[in-house]
Amino acid sequence: MTRRVRRRTCREKAKGVDEVVGEGRALRGSSHVGSAGAEGWEDAAAAEVDWTALPDDALLQLFARLNYRDRASMAAACRAWRALGSSPCLWSALDLRAHRCDPEVASSLASRCGSLRRLRLRGHEAAEAVPGLRARGLREVVADGCRGLTDATLAVLAARHEDLESLQIGPDPLERISSDALRHVALCCSHLRRLRLSGLREADADAVGALARYCPFLEDVAFLDCGAVDEAALAGIHTLRFLSVAGCRNLKWATASAFWAQLPSLIAIDVSRTDVSPSAVSRLISHSKTLKLICTLNCISVEEELSHNPAAFSNSKGKLVLTITSHIFKSIVSLFPGVDVKEHGVFNQCNWRHKDKIVGDIMSWLEWILSQSLLRIAESNPHGMHDFWLQQGTALLLSLLKSSQEDVQERAATALATFVVIDDESATVDPARSETVMQNGGIRMLLDLARCSRESAQSEAAKAIANLSVNANVAKAVADEGGITILTNLAKSMNRLVAEEAAGGLWNLSVGDDHKASIAASGGIKALVDLIFRWPAGTDGVLERAAGALANLAADDKCSLEVAKAGGVHALVTLARLCKLEGVLEQAARALANLAVHGDNNDNNAAVGQEAGALESLVQLTSSQNEGVRQEAAGALWNLSFDDRNREAIAAAGGVEALVSLVQECLNASEGLQERAAGALWGLSVSEANSIAIGQGGGVAPLLMLARSEVEDVHETAAGALWNLAFYSGNALRIVEEGGVPVLVNICSSSGSKMARFMSALALAYMFDGRMDEVALVGTSSDSSSKSVSVEGARRIALKHIETFVLSFSDPHMFSMAAASSTPAALCQVAEAVFIHEAGHLRCSGAEIGRFVAMLRNPSPILRACAAFALLQFTIPGGRHAVHHAGLLQKAGAGRVLRAAAAATTASIEAKIFARIVLRNLEHHQSGTST
Amino acid sequence: MASAGESGDGADGKGVTTITIISSDNEAFEVLEAAASMSLTIRHLIEDGCADGGIPLPNVTAGILAKVLEYCSKHVAAVAASSEAGSSSNAADAAAAPEKEEDLASFDKAFIDVEQDTLYDLLMAANYLEVKGLLDLACQKVADMIKGKTPDAIRQTFKIKNDFSPEQEEKIREENQWAFE
Repeated sequence: MTRRVRRRTCREKAKGVDEVVGEGRALRGSSHVGSAGAEGWEDAAAAEVDWTALPDDALLQLFARLNYRDRASMAAACRAWRALGSSPCLWSALDLRAHRCDPEVASSLASRCGSLRRLRLRGHEAAEAVPGLRARGLREVVADGCRGLTDATLAVLAARHEDLESLQIGPDPLERISSDALRHVALCCSHLRRLRLSGLREADADAVGALARYCPFLEDVAFLDCGAVDEAALAGIHTLRFLSVAGCRNLKWATASAFWAQLPSLIAIDVSRTDVSPSAVSRLISHSKTLKLICTLNCISVEEELSHNPAAFSNSKGKLVLTITSHIFKSIVSLFPGVDVKEHGVFNQCNWRHKDKIVGDIMSWLEWILSQSLLRIAESNPHGMHDFWLQQGTALLLSLLKSSQEDVQERAATALATFVVIDDESATVDPARSETVMQNGGIRMLLDLARCSRESAQSEAAKAIANLSVNANVAKAVADEGGITILTNLAKSMNRLVAEEAAGGLWNLSVGDDHKASIAASGGIKALVDLIFRWPAGTDGVLERAAGALANLAADDKCSLEVAKAGGVHALVTLARLCKLEGVLEQAARALANLAVHGDNNDNNAAVGQEAGALESLVQLTSSQNEGVRQEAAGALWNLSFDDRNREAIAAAGGVEALVSLVQECLNASEGLQERAAGALWGLSVSEANSIAIGQGGGVAPLLMLARSEVEDVHETAAGALWNLAFYSGNALRIVEEGGVPVLVNICSSSGSKMARFMSALALAYMFDGRMDEVALVGTSSDSSSKSVSVEGARRIALKHIETFVLSFSDPHMFSMAAASSTPAALCQVAEAVFIHEAGHLRCSGAEIGRFVAMLRNPSPILRACAAFALLQFTIPGGRHAVHHAGLLQKAGAGRVLRAAAAATTASIEAKIFARIVLRNLEHHQSGTST
Repeated sequence: MASAGESGDGADGKGVTTITIISSDNEAFEVLEAAASMSLTIRHLIEDGCADGGIPLPNVTAGILAKVLEYCSKHVAAVAASSEAGSSSNAADAAAAPEKEEDLASFDKAFIDVEQDTLYDLLMAANYLEVKGLLDLACQKVADMIKGKTPDAIRQTFKIKNDFSPEQEEKIREENQWAFE
């Protein structure tokens, strides 16, 4: 039976955008690293040096150079190291963002947190657990992902940590935090210097007043993206030096500017992303005696004013006004009078570190608010900012990437990852923006950041590299700068976030054919496969990216072998069997499909089929809720059905029924799904039992629907399946009864795909070469008389179009030349002209070849010409299965029949020429095999 | 080396003055004072006027001392070269500076690629002599040997005896579980 080799390989797919991570349970039984190995190491070799005797200073340095995991392992080595591992100096700062943080964990850490000063955490559950650390001396808390944080939690946090000097919670909006909690913070934390909160619905006069009254050191307040903030009350915080209300929606600017201009210590104010009025800005400029800097990025009214009147704020009395149209770098340089600072080095700390403290404070604050605003602007991607990004924004972000403030660095990397993505839905990455990053040296800088020892920076840098690499030019630069090795190393990280983003980077890089081999050479394939085993439930981000990257890699012949060697088949099948997350399943199925593509060159196809549960799970996935999963599963089964044993195993696993119902339900689905569903049936229908089962199971009607599709890939594949089905008389009759003749005739006469026309012609030829009549006459149908009439009509139409199809390959001049001369050159020319390239990939069984040989003697001259034409296509030298077909013809003793056809006086000139070419092809193969 | 003492009265006194350092096994090393001063311990001794007649180092063997001094000499020379390049505004010199930096990095990499016992001795010596750069280098090397290993693998690497009772081990496991989640 015919088979198709030109199957869909990978749908190259890049992932540009980070998606929200959902809940999910996935794999079972993956073990955690850190489990003890063999116990009982004996003191065999008398140790010459005693590493435990190293001075404490040196050992502490060692600890300090390790991440928490390695510190824990080192501390678990012996008593001396355990004691040192609990030293207060190693526990003055803690970043729990990548770790589970709940009451249980908190209490296990409590004994070591006595002198904890700085804490970073993620999620409101973690915030709830913080008091359990019993870190009474905590000075600084930075939290993100705290959307669900409640008043009660914040109040307890404040009450238990009265020494807090800095509290930052954002950027996720604190929707549930009210002014009550804010007042509570003010009452408890009288040492507060810095308070930065995002997304409060309201900060009322009471709450802000409490801050003014009870926090005598408060100098830095940021209410970002808040609803109402009491403008007048803020003016009561006389110690305030830095104020940001960026992104606040409902401020009364007249009141605000009048009151804030009176703040006696205010140095800098940030009103970016607001509807601040030009007159309010002017009032701040003219009335404030202390203000040095006003930041107004992405403020529509201000920008409109400036477009009419570029000199609007030119009389600024020495105050800097930063807007998206101002020359930001140059403006900032003017903060350093008398210092030789180069414009783009203005954020470089060396330039101003030793100058006066105020400038240092301004710059640190400016870095922070700029990183915030740029990230938020990147996220919302408002119109009218494109030029800003190209001219200044990119350079600003890259400058911030070198900040000495770690959170600024990370936010800048996140912003770089975000601003290049201009359409979240389709993960479209703007080429101009990503290439600007590249041209400004950003790739090198991001790779350097990715190589630093901080995991939080690693993950953000890897994410930026991943997103930028959607652009092929940038991907090349990343590869050229050694990025593939760096990402491969990060993919081995024990930190889930790092591993996830690194896998995402490899996924996007693996789209490029040039990079596949580099990824393999860097050990990336092994690292990706290991990821699947390492990360168990609830880590869909990692699994999806790893499977996606492996899918792309498997599309390459050599890499697919590597994937299999690294245990990828088992890993991917395990995912397909046990994972419940659709994104992961889709990529796993796509990877398996691609692994199975190279059936001619390696054993992967068979190997996938032999993996326990592989075919069963793929069959099940064809009924997934998710269309993408159904599509990739069908694609995988299509490719796998190429292997004889797989094909029968798929059928045994219920594949025929599953795919028939898939094809029945996919009529409104995507082209990709339709094509693969039809393709899978095509693959299965190679064997007689399956073919008959598909016909009896109701597969014919939906295939005919797909054959009506306008999309070439869809109707071509459906035609292939119908061709296989039509080999059996029962199916042929069904096709006629379901009104299939006009459908096939339509493809045969008007499809843009030669393959589709060819296969539909062959399907029609099978249907009307006489075998179906035997069945019809034996008469299983009750109303056989009316049917036979319509069958006769259908037969005439079919033959007419087969003839037209065959003649469409005829060039009268060339054919008469070939007929007249007996030189091989003329025949050769015809053969080349009529050859359908893709038909060289089709493989026929002995039964099928035999049927075409029989057709050479059919009473209909049209079918005789068609049979010669088909045999010509199947035996042309260079065709993948030409030798196989030639052998079958030899065995069937076709030479005599062909010679008769070539010489027949009743035959058309085309039929004779085709037969002569087939004979020539046979000679060619014969001489080929004998030498 | 032999003639170095003669130039001790040069204009730039410190740069060319040499001092003598004596290892625990009584081997004397004559080195530039600038190089020896990479060690804070030695620099303090010099500043306190204790360098006359050689500085004895009872904790450092000749073999290790030679290595430490090799490190110091290389780095002192590199610093001198780059400050010269920095002070002259010659563009070609300035361009050469990063190259020197790479040189130094590859020197460090090769320098610290030693047997484990030597690494231990270097770390001890760097700590005792307070050669910060060398201490950092050695610590990083050891840290790299620890990274990603289980406690048991760490014990094997450094030939450390497990002196915990099973109960303690269980307690430590609980105590450190957070880091692995």
